[in-house]
Amino acid sequence: MRNVTNRFHLPTLAVAMAIVATWWLLSVRYGAYVLPSPLAVLHGLGDVLRTGEIWRHTGASLARIAVGFGGAVAVAVLLGLLAFVSPLARGVVHDLLAVLNSTSVFVWIVISIIWFGLSNWAPIFTTFMITLPVVASNIVEGVAAVDRRLLEMGDVYHLSGRRKFTAIVVPSTLPYLVAGMKVGFGLALKVSVVAEIFGVTSGIGYVMNYSREILATQMVFVWALVMILVMTLTDKLLFDTVSRRLMRWRT
Amino acid sequence: MKLEVSGVGKDYLIPVIDSVSFAAEAGEFVCLLGPNGCGKTTLLRIVGGVEPASRGRVTLDGRPVVADQRHDRKVGVVFQEDRLLPWLTLRDNVALVLTPLGLAAAERAAVAGRYLRLTGLAGFESYYPGRVSGGMRQRAAIARALAIEPDLLLMDEPFGALDAQNRRIMQQEVRRIWRETGRTIVFVTHSIEEAVAIGTTLVMLSARPSRVRELILNDGRVERAKLVDDLNTMIMEEVERQQGATPGP
Repeated sequence: MRNVTNRFHLPTLAVAMAIVATWWLLSVRYGAYVLPSPLAVLHGLGDVLRTGEIWRHTGASLARIAVGFGGAVAVAVLLGLLAFVSPLARGVVHDLLAVLNSTSVFVWIVISIIWFGLSNWAPIFTTFMITLPVVASNIVEGVAAVDRRLLEMGDVYHLSGRRKFTAIVVPSTLPYLVAGMKVGFGLALKVSVVAEIFGVTSGIGYVMNYSREILATQMVFVWALVMILVMTLTDKLLFDTVSRRLMRWRT
Repeated sequence: MKLEVSGVGKDYLIPVIDSVSFAAEAGEFVCLLGPNGCGKTTLLRIVGGVEPASRGRVTLDGRPVVADQRHDRKVGVVFQEDRLLPWLTLRDNVALVLTPLGLAAAERAAVAGRYLRLTGLAGFESYYPGRVSGGMRQRAAIARALAIEPDLLLMDEPFGALDAQNRRIMQQEVRRIWRETGRTIVFVTHSIEEAVAIGTTLVMLSARPSRVRELILNDGRVERAKLVDDLNTMIMEEVERQQGATPGP
């Protein structure tokens, strides 16, 4: 219990309550179509939980993210390796990532619809292209930050290339990878949901847009809430745990 | 293992080391002294085969040391910084450098434990470097260098980052370890007192581009206090000459 009160510390809780109260007042003033009441949203959440719809759509979104974001992480690791072995490649990768980084989500959504049609691959490809530069820049940065003095120590003691890689390069790059994945995953969720508006018939983005079309505004809010929950849970349960594990040796 | 340094020189943009020659018999404790920036560390790196020389040669028991080439002589190095891997425990840090020697994992851990005990770190084997003091990290680095049972042990101002008290303790420790293990040691320091306290042979380098200014056997025939005075005079002269010779920052 103490833990819970510590996490949501009092001022935050007070502000949250003020927001919900304002929300409720505004919903009374403007009506359920524009702004459904907090209670209606809570009911809606109960409904999707009961019908199991929440798992179907969240699962579909997460599956696409797993492919798109997973692929991005894999390619990012390869780019990181490349940047490590060749300073020439590091420059090229760096510039490429800068270009990718400044490309808008919408560009990839439109292009992926042209290339892949209205299929699963459109949101997957969009997610891939958007998260790749984020994860890869982190890894490349991590690879550049490997302490050369430690590598020289490895040389002095005649450690093999493979041993230097596993004992020195990987552990010093891992925190950067995890940090990149944390940011990348959040981005993946936001981006894939947008891409799901087009062409697919499952996923949080699809069901949100569908709810809007059938004028079920409270369901739009429900799915927004689901998204926030998924994001917070993966952040706290997955990434924070992993980075704590990796950083055991610190302090 | 007999170390011979003959006519070794190094140029970067300017000549840093002109030509340095000295020899160390097996079991000798050589201290390299000289003004800052005279190339002590560079010389040590050349001896360790980390960096190539511009001229001259280094031999261990008659066989040449060539930079970046593997050789079967074992050289342990203690750097100015501890250069321990922060994500490995002290034991694993020491055990890591034993992997090229082809020992089994259990044996590596046992050897690591033995040398950590020798350097006074019994009980701290499972600690991460970040959780022990700077002095203890440097001890672990020494344990790592000793664990490969080196033919030659190179130490580059290993106690530079330590406070005076720890420094004195570590000097005595190194002296003791040297007596117990009989390794040939080349020890770079800028502290004359330190060199006189622990070295058997003192090599005083001149200002840049450096040569050997004086080679002194510290066998107790010259009184220590006088030796320290003489060396202090020498180093002041060299510092002055270096500042006069090159327009430094």
